[in-house]
Amino acid sequence: MNYSMVKRLILKDWYLQRIAIAASVLGGIGALGIVCLGGQAAFMAGLVLLITALIAVGAHLAIATMVNERKEQTLSFVMSLPISHAEYTLSKLLGTLAIFMVPYLVLVFGSLALFAIPHGVPHGLLPFTTIMAVEILLNTCLMIAVALVTESQGWTVAAIIVGNISINIVGYFVAHLSGIARGMQGGSVNWSTTASVTLLVEFGLIALMLGSTFYFQSRKRDFL
Amino acid sequence: MHSDLVISQTDGRPMYLQIMEQIKLRVSVGEWAAGQEIPSIRQLAVSLRVSVITVKRAYLELEREGVIITQHGKGSIVAPDAGLGPRLHEEELTEHLERAARLGEVLGLSKEELAFRLEEASGRMVDDRQPKEME
Amino acid sequence: MMDLTVDFKGVSKRYAHFNLDNINLELPTGSIMGFIGANGAGKSTTIRILMGLVHQDAGTVKVLGHAMPAEQAAAKMDIGFVSEDMRLYAAATLHWHMNFVSSMFPKWDQAYADKLIRRFDLKPQQKIKGLSHGQRVKAALLLALARKPRLLVLDEPTTGLDPVARREVLGELMAVLADEDRTILFSSHNTQDVEQISDQITFIDRGKIIDSDNKEAFLDQWRRLRLVLPQNSEVPRLPGVIDVGGSGRLPVLTTNRFDPGMLTVCQDLGATVQAVDSMTLEEIFVSSVQHRRETVAV
Repeated sequence: MNYSMVKRLILKDWYLQRIAIAASVLGGIGALGIVCLGGQAAFMAGLVLLITALIAVGAHLAIATMVNERKEQTLSFVMSLPISHAEYTLSKLLGTLAIFMVPYLVLVFGSLALFAIPHGVPHGLLPFTTIMAVEILLNTCLMIAVALVTESQGWTVAAIIVGNISINIVGYFVAHLSGIARGMQGGSVNWSTTASVTLLVEFGLIALMLGSTFYFQSRKRDFL
Repeated sequence: MHSDLVISQTDGRPMYLQIMEQIKLRVSVGEWAAGQEIPSIRQLAVSLRVSVITVKRAYLELEREGVIITQHGKGSIVAPDAGLGPRLHEEELTEHLERAARLGEVLGLSKEELAFRLEEASGRMVDDRQPKEME
Repeated sequence: MMDLTVDFKGVSKRYAHFNLDNINLELPTGSIMGFIGANGAGKSTTIRILMGLVHQDAGTVKVLGHAMPAEQAAAKMDIGFVSEDMRLYAAATLHWHMNFVSSMFPKWDQAYADKLIRRFDLKPQQKIKGLSHGQRVKAALLLALARKPRLLVLDEPTTGLDPVARREVLGELMAVLADEDRTILFSSHNTQDVEQISDQITFIDRGKIIDSDNKEAFLDQWRRLRLVLPQNSEVPRLPGVIDVGGSGRLPVLTTNRFDPGMLTVCQDLGATVQAVDSMTLEEIFVSSVQHRRETVAV
């Protein structure tokens, strides 16, 4: 694996997505502002907005960096470069996730800051927020995986819709899990086993998704 | 690179023959002197935008006819011995006569008729030249 | 032992509606091969297998000594590839593309790239989406040529170019061959271009290679014999004649194995040889395909 080639491919995608990255950061900061209006209702509303915004960013990236390579017919240009299929796959996975991390981390740290300030968000919501944050990451990994393996706009949009719906379902489900619902109202953090297990499952799924992407990509016999 | 030789797309003859003819012409009028270095096969191919294999064939034929000599690894030169001019014209005459003979056959002319036509043509040439000589 | 830049042995690939069947191809280093075939004949598939973009179902592929598709990253270090359906990034400039490509190819020659910019009349600061079709083709060629590849693989390099641009491109391709270690494989509908600059020519039809030889051999061996037959006479039967056209007393025989002895045979049989026409590569190709489709049960 030629990592300097992978790096150059990632930088290429960063350059091509530079405007989208900047816009998403600004948009994210704006969404945080709404959350700052205070109160639990505003927090929930802001949270939904942030989640939607992040899903949109992830969806856009999945399509722009992967589906479009085939649609815009630049894939044969990229594959004419001295790279293997595995290096292409790695650059897309790492690169797109890294690009996604920019607005994602801005929002994650912004949200954590809201917990830290006095009269900010009640700390009881921390486990739930963390779980949802990782859920968003998981959802983005799904969109990236589908976009990369299928290179099809149709399948990717389907994954986006499924992901969007499932985040809502998961959010509802997790919020009502006994181990988590109990601690949500309180002012102090309550890391129950349920919360920890949920997080572990989420990270496990992320690893599984990335691993199977590599697997399916390596089995492709027709790259073009 | 702008080439000395100019190859015609519409000339029906094979490319390698055109190249040979042009080279022989240059040699016969003295533009490419005896013993002078000529472009290598690849160089000529590039400047004419013609395949290497065609130029190679032309050079091989020219070497067989004694017009050029290819020194292995050192490129090609015009053959040092002179007398190409008359030989070139000999070849051209033979070619034209053979073509005339074929056409004569198609037209159904007899050998005598064909010879008569040649005499006529030769006579016309002399007539064309007369006015100039009278000046 | 001939030094081969491209070596296909028994390559096959099955698709739902199309099969590439037992492709054998040898491209010696320092030569240029023209690849001619109808649309859908298998040219693009063969080229993609060459580039490691498609994995063959059977057979071995070696490019510049590397087995494909396994060693494609190493092989592509020395290959410049441009295909007709390839696009550059529309939102970026040619200058950005040059920087990007040069960062991946150590042999990139910036002085040569600058020369090509002038010769092809391109503006580096212009975005790709603002370029005409011809300019985009030339830009892609520039990016392939300036990396000084040992092998150039071109799928329809002159399609859609105006005559002046075509001549420029052909000139640059030939200039590549000034170095006898560099090789070119190109596929084209433009049989005139192929006829002019190719050393080797390969015909492909319906997934099979139907003929492959050096250009001079093709042009030497194919002829049209125009005969004038005497009254009540039959068309002479000659070996190597693959088509008989024309009319009753004025048959036109097409042969792919011409020998001057054929003329004597015709004359001995009472026919007059009115003309012996050479054939253009296009005529040869069309005749080859027609002959094959008639004689092979498809």
